[in-house]
Amino acid sequence: MRKTTTILLAAVVTATMAACGGSDTPANTTSSTGTDQPTTASLLVWADATRSPVIRQMAESFTKDTGIAVEVVERDYGKMRDDFISQAPTGQGPDILIGGGDWTGKFVQNGVVTPVELGDVADGFADVAIESVTYEGQVYGLPYALENVAMFRNPALAPDTPATMAEAIQTGQAAVSAGTAKYPFLIQIDPQGDPFHMYPIQMSFGAPVFGQDPAGGYNPAELAMCGDQGKAFAAYLAEMGQAGIFETTMTADIAKEAFVNGESPFVISGPWNTADYQTAIPDVAIDPIPSAGGLTASPFVGTQAFFISAKSQNQLAATQFVVNYLGSKDAQVELFKAGGRPPALTAAAEDAAVANDPSAAAFNAVAVDGVSTPNIPAMDAVWGDWANTEVAIIDGKGDPSALWDEACASIKTKIEEAS
Amino acid sequence: MTGQSLTEAPPRRRRESHATAWVRGFALKLILLCAVNALGLYGVIAAVAVKSWAIAAFLAVALAVVDVCYFSKRMIPAKYLIPGLLFLLVYQVFVILYTGYAAFTNYGDGHNSNKQDAIDAILGRGSERLPDSLSAPVSILERDGELYFLLPSDQAGQALLGSATTPLHLVDDAVFEGSQPTGLPGYTTLEARQILAQQSEIGNLAVPRSENPADGFVRTTDGMNAYTYVSTMAYDPTADTITAADGTIYSDNGQGNYASEAGERLEPGWKVTVGFSNFTSIITNKSLRGPFFGVLVWTFAYAILTVVIAFALGLSMALVLNHPTVKGRRILRALLILPYAFPAFLSAMVWQGLLNSKYGFINQVIFGGADIHWLESPWLARLSVLVVNVWMAYPYMFLVSTGAIQSMPPELEEAARVDGAGWMRVFWSVKLPLLLVSLAPLLISSFSMNFNNFNSIYLLTEGGPLENPTDMAGSTDILISFVYRLAFGGVNRQYGLACAISLLIFIIVAGISAYSYRKTKVLEEMN
Amino acid sequence: MTATAVQAASSPPPKAGRETRPVRSAPDVNAGRRAVQASWRYLIAAVALVFALFPIVFIISASLNPLGSLTSSNALFSAVDAGSYVDLLSDPAHPYARWFGNSMMIGGVTAVATVFLGACAAYAFSRFRFKGRRGGLLTLILLQMFPQTLAYVAIFLLLTTLKDVFPILGLDSQIGLIMVYLGGALGVNTYLMYGFFSSVPMSIDESAKIDGASHARVFFSIILRLVAPILAVVALLSFIGTLNDFVIASVVLTTPGKQTLAVGLYQFISQNFSQNWGVFAAGAVLAAIPVVLIFLFLQKYIVSGLTAGAVKG
Repeated sequence: MRKTTTILLAAVVTATMAACGGSDTPANTTSSTGTDQPTTASLLVWADATRSPVIRQMAESFTKDTGIAVEVVERDYGKMRDDFISQAPTGQGPDILIGGGDWTGKFVQNGVVTPVELGDVADGFADVAIESVTYEGQVYGLPYALENVAMFRNPALAPDTPATMAEAIQTGQAAVSAGTAKYPFLIQIDPQGDPFHMYPIQMSFGAPVFGQDPAGGYNPAELAMCGDQGKAFAAYLAEMGQAGIFETTMTADIAKEAFVNGESPFVISGPWNTADYQTAIPDVAIDPIPSAGGLTASPFVGTQAFFISAKSQNQLAATQFVVNYLGSKDAQVELFKAGGRPPALTAAAEDAAVANDPSAAAFNAVAVDGVSTPNIPAMDAVWGDWANTEVAIIDGKGDPSALWDEACASIKTKIEEAS
Repeated sequence: MTGQSLTEAPPRRRRESHATAWVRGFALKLILLCAVNALGLYGVIAAVAVKSWAIAAFLAVALAVVDVCYFSKRMIPAKYLIPGLLFLLVYQVFVILYTGYAAFTNYGDGHNSNKQDAIDAILGRGSERLPDSLSAPVSILERDGELYFLLPSDQAGQALLGSATTPLHLVDDAVFEGSQPTGLPGYTTLEARQILAQQSEIGNLAVPRSENPADGFVRTTDGMNAYTYVSTMAYDPTADTITAADGTIYSDNGQGNYASEAGERLEPGWKVTVGFSNFTSIITNKSLRGPFFGVLVWTFAYAILTVVIAFALGLSMALVLNHPTVKGRRILRALLILPYAFPAFLSAMVWQGLLNSKYGFINQVIFGGADIHWLESPWLARLSVLVVNVWMAYPYMFLVSTGAIQSMPPELEEAARVDGAGWMRVFWSVKLPLLLVSLAPLLISSFSMNFNNFNSIYLLTEGGPLENPTDMAGSTDILISFVYRLAFGGVNRQYGLACAISLLIFIIVAGISAYSYRKTKVLEEMN
Repeated sequence: MTATAVQAASSPPPKAGRETRPVRSAPDVNAGRRAVQASWRYLIAAVALVFALFPIVFIISASLNPLGSLTSSNALFSAVDAGSYVDLLSDPAHPYARWFGNSMMIGGVTAVATVFLGACAAYAFSRFRFKGRRGGLLTLILLQMFPQTLAYVAIFLLLTTLKDVFPILGLDSQIGLIMVYLGGALGVNTYLMYGFFSSVPMSIDESAKIDGASHARVFFSIILRLVAPILAVVALLSFIGTLNDFVIASVVLTTPGKQTLAVGLYQFISQNFSQNWGVFAAGAVLAAIPVVLIFLFLQKYIVSGLTAGAVKG
């Protein structure tokens, strides 16, 4: 019996040792990397894979100047907002993270970011960029890039920039009847809906999601899209759905491939596809989105920004790195080269590297007419119903006006429940 | 391993004397137990050092249990169970307990951290930069452990000096570099690296502009430039209230927020326990009650059908391939488990593409360009998620069935055959009942897993299609995907509510499963 | 303990893998008839294979397609080019080889440790009578039914706290991640093993004990060998489960160099919308290969009916 005990014990303890005791080697490696050297602090940055190399590059000169190490960790952009909100309070989150300007409200509501004092540099940024990181009068991030959709045009199928949506569709239909194209006009919708790509068309009917208070902030109590303008847009969606021009089966993937294959003269898309479109169609043009409802078709302009954690133990260093290094013209130009999104800093946008890039200039020109993506928490309640309703209208699942009203009522209830 | 090696092994072992083995084993036991104790004690000390009392207590108790158990000659089963149980306790039971705790809190957006963090955030937001006020490069000085800001003034040759306790005042003998004062006799000017070494003190330093607080205070956020701010929020620690610039007093409303008399709340709030309110809100929630029954029925159908079909498929394939006349069994088996070898999120994305009603392979190629709305019409969508889920689940059933068939004694089948039973008869009356006895618990557990198979639904249809665009529940929504939309789909993500719902679902599933085990009498046979 | 004791206990004496032994002893059946007998089996297998494989053929086709788009490549293998594989293995932005190695290491260690922990527990349940035995096994299974969708928050919190005491078990540690996986080692797998352990007749243990063997020796030298098929099944299930997990792994591991295949690929595909399809598909195809190889290797254990004992019934 003693033997039993012994052998068994050996096994169990081995397992436990393997479990707990394995700590030796890796523990040594972590301490030797110098992250916990007491002499200087180090900054932890969360970024997506595209921007990480540029941030590392800027970090090198920062480390040389200040002796503070910067560790850049690549994170899944889609989960970064919620991960940061849940991790920041434990003190384990990053000092700095990149994110969308439209996350600002959520961050402030949860007290996880600290205001960033841009000082007099603030004037150097595009207004729409500063607006998107401003919440209740305070600036919470340093914007570095703008992101918006525009219309790509294949000159072989449509030599001229269309003035209106109707004209674009006419050109497209002509190409389809001539057998040179398969789709008159491409816009990704997805069975789940895509109000982001559809927004410029909605705006051309004069139906923004929220009204704005005098200071420019979005007002969650005023759902501006719920008026007659919104219903006019809903009717338009139904009409386009019926005509088969807007299809809810059109996913991002299909739209991209169709345009690359020259099957349509037009596609609404963003800078993330520029490279592929230019490879396939060297003379591809980037135009403003034509108006369907008569007014300017303003897209959402999303901003990419750097935020500083409220729980950072290195506020001063983080602010220095963000404002003086990542906010520099050089950094913004480099970030543009990495991500293809026009810089938020005007001086960087005017830099030769950006200004001579026709696609960046074209997207910038469209961004001027854009509106910033709402950064208030109430926007979270809008997306779902909004997307589903657009899909239902395009699929002809009911009276467009009535569906639109229902969506509005449902969104209103959700926003009211929260306050 | 074959039977032959089995018959050879014991004699080899027998040559070794029991006494030798005992001595060696005992030495090993001592060494390992010492190591475990050393590790455990280290853990206790380290936990006490960082004031993690819960961890310290857990480690101390665990260590005592381990020592008593392994030094004792009794408690043999415990010796085998303890290693696994320790992991279970730390990593699984903790998750359940934590979820249980969170279910009684208001944890979620706006109530994300503790009260101190909330106060800090409110005060941080309540500090406003004065328009057109002083904004200047700052030098940071130190004397006798106190930090000072040195700033340029509008008086030629003079500079402004101040600390947390002394408001800014003019000093004469500052050393200038250009227009920027950089030093003062008797004070040490901090270098950039020294500034960063003391960054939290410097970041928190607020130098009053004058004796009058309304003039604001000077701060730096980067150690290089200073700006003037005024506070619009003031915290009174004794009364535990926050006063705004307009005189409104916000006090702790007991629900994790500072709120004014009029009910206006300051954001952010903090996490507090809220009793059963998450549970009662499940009952009172209108958007939950309406579709609840339909969703529940579909959840059961989805989980049961997945298990039954996947099991039928997996078992059939196991039977079909478990025959010596089938050549290439090994390869065929390996190909059949392939769906299991791909990550589920990838498979779901691929299926989504295949099922696209207009462009997907299934409609375009298999159905010759038909317009079948696989994911857009309610019943077809249910069929589709079921097929895809079966596709993902059957390799598991195939594996366990193959294993189970292999362990069945061939004599049973031979005996039945001798009695003249046909193939079908042998299967239905001999093999299947035997298999079910050994596999029923796996099927029940698979049922419970699919009951909560959030990912397979979410990745394919996100619960849709919706009969009505503003519905809270879609046609393929199962209980867990539906309630998560409720908890996270509004303006605020209500983590506490989601935890409460998880807990309820767990109770439902565990209850059904426990009952089923009883029904299948599997565990009754244990004793 | 002697060889005779084992043989006497396990009657009839176990032979080599059952697969080599036709169920019906019919030495005179001619090859032609055997082929006819087997042909319907091939037919069923073919149908099942089509169902099992056609989405996978799609992935392979996409991985070879220079455009790498999934939905519209209905013309399978219309363009074939290894560009995606080259990108996958050469682009330093996604250290695929590292991820691959990490996954194999984490999956392998987890599988072995899971089998060990589970087998110990199954042995206790099948060989000893103790208080709370029935309830204990049921509790193990029921605990695993807790919906894991929210577990990430608790696990994050737990690892943050553990990090202060045992840095190696904290966040961003592969060992820490393995520990989390081992939390699920006992559960339905224990039951699976318990069933097979119980199918080994107690007389084997008893005769070994009469011969002077301790319970540990019985466990390690006799029982574990007899239940090899189920150990192989559990090892495979655990390996695949670990390999495919990205929810917990993405919470625990943050440094790109430490990440697993599933996390790395998931983050890769979630960036820049649909740009990365081809590379992603290539990554998934390569990742599936070791699973298939391990299955082929373990198959001989899984399909070798070793014990003569019945499934407990």
